[in-house]
Amino acid sequence: MPPVVVAESLTKRFGEVLAVDDLSFEIDSGTITGFLGPNGAGKTTTLRMLLGLAAPTKGHALVFDRAYGELEYPALRIGAVLEATDFHPGRSGRDHLRMLGQSVGVPDSRADEVLALVELRDASRRRVKGYSLGMRQRLGLAAALLGDPELLVLDEPANGLDPEGVRWLRDFLRRFASEGRTVLISSHVLAEVAQTVDQVLIVSHGRFIVESSLEELTARVSGVVRVRSGDSPRLAAALIAESLKPTKSDEHTLLVPGATSARVGDIAFAAGVAVHELATEGSSLEEIFLQLTSDEQS
Amino acid sequence: MIAQIKAELLKVRSTRTTAGLLLGMVALILLFVLLTGLLSSVASLSSAENQRQLLSIGALAGVFSALAGVLLVTSEYRYGTIRPTILFTPSRSRVIGAKVLAATLAGVGFGIVGEALGWAIGYAILSGRGITFALNSGDCVQLALGGLAGIALWGAMGAGLGTLLRNQVGGVITLLAWGFVVSPLLFGLVPSVGRFMPSYAQDSLIGLTTNHLLPPAAGGIVLVAWTALLASAGLALTARRDVT
Repeated sequence: MPPVVVAESLTKRFGEVLAVDDLSFEIDSGTITGFLGPNGAGKTTTLRMLLGLAAPTKGHALVFDRAYGELEYPALRIGAVLEATDFHPGRSGRDHLRMLGQSVGVPDSRADEVLALVELRDASRRRVKGYSLGMRQRLGLAAALLGDPELLVLDEPANGLDPEGVRWLRDFLRRFASEGRTVLISSHVLAEVAQTVDQVLIVSHGRFIVESSLEELTARVSGVVRVRSGDSPRLAAALIAESLKPTKSDEHTLLVPGATSARVGDIAFAAGVAVHELATEGSSLEEIFLQLTSDEQS
Repeated sequence: MIAQIKAELLKVRSTRTTAGLLLGMVALILLFVLLTGLLSSVASLSSAENQRQLLSIGALAGVFSALAGVLLVTSEYRYGTIRPTILFTPSRSRVIGAKVLAATLAGVGFGIVGEALGWAIGYAILSGRGITFALNSGDCVQLALGGLAGIALWGAMGAGLGTLLRNQVGGVITLLAWGFVVSPLLFGLVPSVGRFMPSYAQDSLIGLTTNHLLPPAAGGIVLVAWTALLASAGLALTARRDVT
């Protein structure tokens, strides 16, 4: 099956600023891809070019083998949410969906269907002005789902969601992808999407720094083991003998980069040092992410 | 395109903006017709030209029709709904075209209400004060249908102006300043130029006989030309600009 999304040398320049710099990537159908990077990395600009809202300075992006704007009724194949706030405050959620649906011949009954799907049925006739941020996020998602799309593109969908909302979204996207459909979801917080995505594209300053599966990413950067013991100097010597590079955190605590807690524990045992505390730190995806993006910047 | 126009008309109907504009329009027309009709002397209201002036007050609906057109476009930029709108209909020309046509249709609605109100109250005052009706049927048709056409075209011009400016407050202020400050000033100082302003073109279209106005047919052509100019300028700019 051909990839759902293809970007080739996608580039966007705003005056002096190169917001997106020669990005190329492909997204296969049935996958959930996390498009990650710090704020200002060029994620939204990339998505805008993908969705035909902005013209690339160079390169091109194709969805289902065509430029977005060349698809007959793109909203029937691609659902997208770029901002959680794109509503007229004085219009009801239902009318917002009806007006979008009518423009592509989607019946009003479909608006009610997607409202039920995002659990907004009770609020559907109220003005959006009275909606919470979470409700607005879900209304945006409902709009994206109106055309029963095969590809869902969401820009920072977890912003402003409470933990329950994040969980709901995660389950929803999993279900969506399990039907063979495709999701591209951007975020500046890796933890938000770590449990959802199959592969990650990490972008910083408009360029890719990582493009891999989540497992590969986790394996790539090993953690730091923090070990508190009864005899730090002896443990340090034993670790150095095993060609590790421990650093002293405080009198009783060593930090050992590039090791697993099991290995550090084994070495301590062999050296006859009593271990009081043993923990792996810095292997959280968040720190990997920060480490990768700050490496790129320095 | 029909689907897009339908969607645009739903946008017009689904907020309170339109109801507010209609209410303001009814109040303003009522006020002006009552003031003019009741404060003028019987002698002055007996002249055909003054009857024409009285019965043309309904054409004030054009202001509200134009405001509705400006808001139909600028509120999309103000509230960001332009993003989903363009995502659903990537063709900018189709979106702007639908907006211009929907604003024209909405203008017909404003026009029917405004003209009907102006005529009903104006005619009631004339007959209530026992004044003989001095206009022939041709005058009446020109006054009413010309007014309606002008009001509808104001809707399209408003949508064009909104597309050009995108900013809501800027669009509203530009429209009002153009109609109520720049045009009258220009007409007062340089009538040969001022008569080409849309509000004076509309005056000629409905058959007012103020000095310096264009002939009615020319007035109609000038109005259509303004509409085409604003809509196509807005379209050309929108086609080139990214949606941010």
